[in-house]
Amino acid sequence: MEGYLAVAAVVLAGVLLVTAAMVARRLVAPRAVTAAGRTTYESGVDPVGTGWAQSQVRYLSFAFLYVVFAVDAVYLFPWALVLRDSSLGLASLVEVLVFVGVVLLGLVHAARRGLLRWDLR
Amino acid sequence: MSTIAALPGLVSLVAEGTDNPRADFSDTPLWLSLVKALIIFVYLLVSTLLVIWFERRVIGRMQQRPGPNRNGPFGLLQTLADGMKSMLKEDVRPKAADAFVFTLAPLITATMCFVSFSIMPLAGEVSMFGHTTPFQLTDTPIAVLLVLAVAGVGIYGVVLAGWSSGSPYPLMGGLRASAQMISYEIAMGLSLVAVFLYAGSMSTSQIVSAQSGLWFVVPAFFSFFVYVITMVGETNRLPFDLAEGEGELTGGFHTEYGSMRFAMFFLGEYINMFTVAALATTMFLGGWQAPPGIAAINDGMFNEGWWGLLWFTAKLWMFMFVFVWLRGSLPRVRYDQFMRFGWKFLIPATLAWVVLVAFFRAGQNGWLGGTVDVAGRSFPVVSLALVGIIAALALAGGWMWDARVERREARLHPHVPDEIDPYAGGHPVPPMPGQRLREPSLTAPALTSRPDTEEATRG
Amino acid sequence: MTGTGEQVMFWILGPLAVVGSLGLVFAKKAVHAALGMAMTMIILGVFYLAQEADFLGVIQIFVYTGAVMMLFLFVVMLVGVDSSDSLVETLTGQRWATAVLAIGLGGILGAQVGKATVGQSVGLAAVNAQTGNVSGVAQLIFGRYVWVFEATSALLITAALGAMVLAHRERLGRGPDQKEWSKRRFQEGKHLAGLPAPGVYARHNAVDTPALLPDGTPSELSVSRVLTARDQNLSPSTYTDGEREIERDVREGSER
Repeated sequence: MEGYLAVAAVVLAGVLLVTAAMVARRLVAPRAVTAAGRTTYESGVDPVGTGWAQSQVRYLSFAFLYVVFAVDAVYLFPWALVLRDSSLGLASLVEVLVFVGVVLLGLVHAARRGLLRWDLR
Repeated sequence: MSTIAALPGLVSLVAEGTDNPRADFSDTPLWLSLVKALIIFVYLLVSTLLVIWFERRVIGRMQQRPGPNRNGPFGLLQTLADGMKSMLKEDVRPKAADAFVFTLAPLITATMCFVSFSIMPLAGEVSMFGHTTPFQLTDTPIAVLLVLAVAGVGIYGVVLAGWSSGSPYPLMGGLRASAQMISYEIAMGLSLVAVFLYAGSMSTSQIVSAQSGLWFVVPAFFSFFVYVITMVGETNRLPFDLAEGEGELTGGFHTEYGSMRFAMFFLGEYINMFTVAALATTMFLGGWQAPPGIAAINDGMFNEGWWGLLWFTAKLWMFMFVFVWLRGSLPRVRYDQFMRFGWKFLIPATLAWVVLVAFFRAGQNGWLGGTVDVAGRSFPVVSLALVGIIAALALAGGWMWDARVERREARLHPHVPDEIDPYAGGHPVPPMPGQRLREPSLTAPALTSRPDTEEATRG
Repeated sequence: MTGTGEQVMFWILGPLAVVGSLGLVFAKKAVHAALGMAMTMIILGVFYLAQEADFLGVIQIFVYTGAVMMLFLFVVMLVGVDSSDSLVETLTGQRWATAVLAIGLGGILGAQVGKATVGQSVGLAAVNAQTGNVSGVAQLIFGRYVWVFEATSALLITAALGAMVLAHRERLGRGPDQKEWSKRRFQEGKHLAGLPAPGVYARHNAVDTPALLPDGTPSELSVSRVLTARDQNLSPSTYTDGEREIERDVREGSER
């Protein structure tokens, strides 16, 4: 428990450091705001509308895959520690073998259906 | 493992392994923790100042130019000067930006990068101000997972910076960066599972002490290989710096950032480099422990106390040099190739590797069959069988791969005849390199009107 | 018993978690809502850590902030920051059904919570010291509750598959590639050299200003139809009038 207090203290110190830097900048840096200076950069072309642009849907499928594999990894972490257990180790090895097999099969299926390609038609 | 020879001993060692940290913080009052936190901050900030100078000098050397050499001895104070300069710059926030999130994003990046270092063991037990304490701020049973979780939160800095700028380039850069970092974070996490299997713990002090016999880079060599690749991808460094690829996205997610806010991203990027390098040191290269030859001198004299900080720093800077070396020698990869490599090679291969290591461990525990003696040492049968199977599979795979490459070559470069008739299709065609032209004859059949040559004759 | 430090932490972070979850519901911008949710999830993770459930706490942060929120942000970026939801109800009577189900769920939960008797809390300190936190969780997942775990995951997968089947639309044919587009353009015989580029003026060259045709009228074709639909186009007269004024000045000056 005390260990996490130290982590929290580091977070707090980091916030303080950033804040101090921002305050120092505010004290010494000049301020000369112009309308042109506050426009966004688009390689010299004047920006039109909001900065939002619809982007490839491909990113979404990678986000989905990330969720699947993050949970997969989370399942493997505790297993790594329980493998040394003489009563549970062998059974858990078989369980994980099946589990990883199914996940890999899913990934192969996704790849065969072209989910991982970027040059989509 | 060196203990393979004594299998019963190993079994008992495995059974004794525990989740809980080995580091003993009972003699560490709160104020001493605060002092250690301060030391870590100073260590990181000074290292950042140095590494930027180091990177520019080494890159300069690789490109046959001097690099920064004006401010201070050897230009050492160049980074300090740059930092002061960024502080004196006007802070510009675009009108289209979301004010709150625009400020929050660099704060997240610059804060989160320090957190991971609080669980890194920089040295073994040292005596500070009359107390004997491990030279690491804290350790928990899930210390390594804490690094992954903090990295997950740190990605928010990039995504939010991209979104809040209200501009297309940062948005695309942020999207790319996040997809890239989450993909490589998976492979990174999976590569660490093999280390957990060997160490039997996720506490950094346990992992370091489990490497006193043999560094995990040897038994978990494939994990190390994957980790080193993913750590470059995770920190957005060349050749994987697609999020800020200047040729495509001007500055990527930090296009609209300037002054101190940009400096915060810069700081975060460099400290993240130190974080992933420190994790690699701790997980694979024995942490603060002295290299094998030196560790044996004078009954481990160089392997305790403050010496650990020296070894740790040396290993850390070795990784820094690799980062710089990569940047100096490799061009940026294409985004689709990068993602394909991550998802089609790194992740499945690492998963398979983890299962393989698990079988090795099970064999070492003596579950799957007995042992055989080879060259005076006993090895579990299952390990030897697996090595044989993998060797056979690798041979078969290599053979199939070769055949495939040959077929692809044949398809890409179909056989070209030595001589062509330029009017064969009814339309004059230049020869391919190395081809001869046959003299066109007036009686060439193609000149008569055929449906598919109609266009050519008409034109 | 909870210590003083833990109580202080709870009374600081608890309200913050509530603020975050209220932000999820009431924030106008979707990204702000996502941020509120992330904050709530992180604070929940901190609470687990404080309860000595180390593994659960850090996994809560890893999975929820890392994975689920990333998914959410991606959706936000793809769907649009300021696109408002369609208010037309496609399922008739869904409000009533939802109300009935919500009340039913509330009733079941209330009955269960009311029936529960809370014994003396044991805490995790003993297990953490002996078995270890992560090993303890792993022994439960892989040993005692392995079938419960499998059944739950099967249910979840079925639900995810159902959602995918409902939302999935198989593409019937291949979309046209660049070559086919260009062939089609030539067959139609219109705009063979491509559409005209937007206007380039001395003081402005953005995509939102139409080019001028030889007779001086703005060319609608030169601007994106998306911008036209959003009514974001500028009139070129803003720039051409200025030019005309300069020309007039020059003419008058030369005549003088």
